[in-house]
Amino acid sequence: MIEYRGVWKQFGDDSVLSGVDLTVKEGETLVLLGPSGTGKSVLLKHAIGLLTPDRGDVIVDGISIPRATPEELKRVRRRIGYVFQNAALFDSLTIARNLALALDTEGNERPLAAVRPEVAELLRRVNLDEDVLDRYPAELSGGMRKRVGVARAIASRPRYVLYDEPTTGLDPVNAETIDGLIVELAEELGVTSIVVTHDLESAFQVGDRVALLTEGRLRACGTPEEILASEDPVVQRFMHRRFGTAAAQ
Amino acid sequence: MTAGQRVLRAPDIIGATRGGLDRVGRGALLAAAIVRILASPRRYTNAALAQAYHMGIRSLPLVLFMAAIGGALASQQTGAQFTGGLPLWVIGSVVAAGVLTELGPVLTALVLIGRLGASIAAELGTMKVTEQIDALYSIGRDPVTFLVVPRVVGGMLVVPPLVIVADAVGMVSGWIVGLVAIEGLTTADFLFGARFYFRPWVLAFSVIKAAIFGVTITFLACFIGLEGRGGAEGVGRTTTAAVVATTVAIMLLDVLLVPLLKVA
Ligand SMILES: Nc1ncnc2c1ncn2[C@@H]1O[C@H](COP(=O)(O)OP(=O)(O)O)[C@@H](O)[C@H]1O
Ligand SMILES: [Mg+2]
Repeated sequence: MIEYRGVWKQFGDDSVLSGVDLTVKEGETLVLLGPSGTGKSVLLKHAIGLLTPDRGDVIVDGISIPRATPEELKRVRRRIGYVFQNAALFDSLTIARNLALALDTEGNERPLAAVRPEVAELLRRVNLDEDVLDRYPAELSGGMRKRVGVARAIASRPRYVLYDEPTTGLDPVNAETIDGLIVELAEELGVTSIVVTHDLESAFQVGDRVALLTEGRLRACGTPEEILASEDPVVQRFMHRRFGTAAAQ
Repeated sequence: MTAGQRVLRAPDIIGATRGGLDRVGRGALLAAAIVRILASPRRYTNAALAQAYHMGIRSLPLVLFMAAIGGALASQQTGAQFTGGLPLWVIGSVVAAGVLTELGPVLTALVLIGRLGASIAAELGTMKVTEQIDALYSIGRDPVTFLVVPRVVGGMLVVPPLVIVADAVGMVSGWIVGLVAIEGLTTADFLFGARFYFRPWVLAFSVIKAAIFGVTITFLACFIGLEGRGGAEGVGRTTTAAVVATTVAIMLLDVLLVPLLKVA
């Protein structure tokens, strides 16, 4: 379970989160929507301690992330996969090494040859060929990098996965592969996840619940049906504008 | 100055001071983290040796060039100023003293700041602003173990041999240039002068200085790199800041270490 309790975060004079309360239940997939720059990525980063709240608490598996010791934090992070919005692959390492680094724990590294089959399997799950293994991130397209980022996030067989715009910039076929993977991990392995997306169609497809973040607070949170039926004008405008543009394309 | 101006300025100074102190605090925390990790060599030995090897290969040509120029200048300048009064063998002593205590370690350090310090700061700065450092944390890895310790240990291991090579090249170059440019100087004179000055402690001093410089350059480059922010332009600023800070630190250390030469 991931619990945000009254999380406030400010950068300089710029207030980003102003009291976010959110609970993601065991096995649930929560989709987080919101305009660009409202703090969706900032919210996700709090769950693995990349950012600490100015006020409030974030609790994962009963551990308070802002108060965790470095060792506790390391253990919690091994249980959480994180897909970065910009992939954030290690540029100086090949794809195989990028993934191997996430497979093994510090000090227990196996030789690359030994992990190759596992690494290749991870790539298959995100619809990538084995021939990218020995390439460097800069030699891949943006969409390919993004999928390697997803593969890296699920390498340690995490119980939680936080996806920061996993399908933005992907072609429809690959976007569907990733959506399929999100559903599969949730259904077959009971993975708990938060998915940040701008794609409303996939949001309603993968999400057990949908939350809308605006102006530093959760404006709405509920099942897809509840969100679509919401009478809040802000929620309606967000949903309709998006559906409008989606329909126009 | 009016009271109003003073009120406006005070917070700036306090803010800047606090920012500086915070930064010193973070530097101390990084140093403490490095020391803790040093206790388990298995986690970094291979990576540190690989770093040392690459650092050595990359900087050797420029180190040799600078050392040769340094030795040549020491010998020529002494020759030019010592006409008359002093015996010519003093040139051997002056070159040995200049090269071993100052030119070898300091010129090597300056080369390494440009060659290694800048590239470490740029690399870690880029990793920071492209969230690769966050990505390391996210997979349960510690950037200090994975990135910083191998570079600092690698620097500590590789700079002493580089300085020994620089010392040797500086001496040889000083000797050859002396023979060619200074009338009447013989090899026997030069060697006599060099031996007259030389004590094992001087060489040890050169090597100790080298190790301290190696750690200083890599540590500051890593620290300033990891503090990087703000895109490609930010990485440029970070790199420049690392070069400036490290140069100042090396020069200050060079002065502070002078008394060490006299202990033995
Ligand atoms: N590390 C940081 N330092 C300063 N400002 C930040 C930082 N991270 C995010 N911000 C700011 O917080 C706001 C929200 O960013 P973000 O969470 O990335 O938005 P999004 O909802 O599009 O993911 C933005 O204004 C951004 O500039
Ligand atoms: Mg974002």
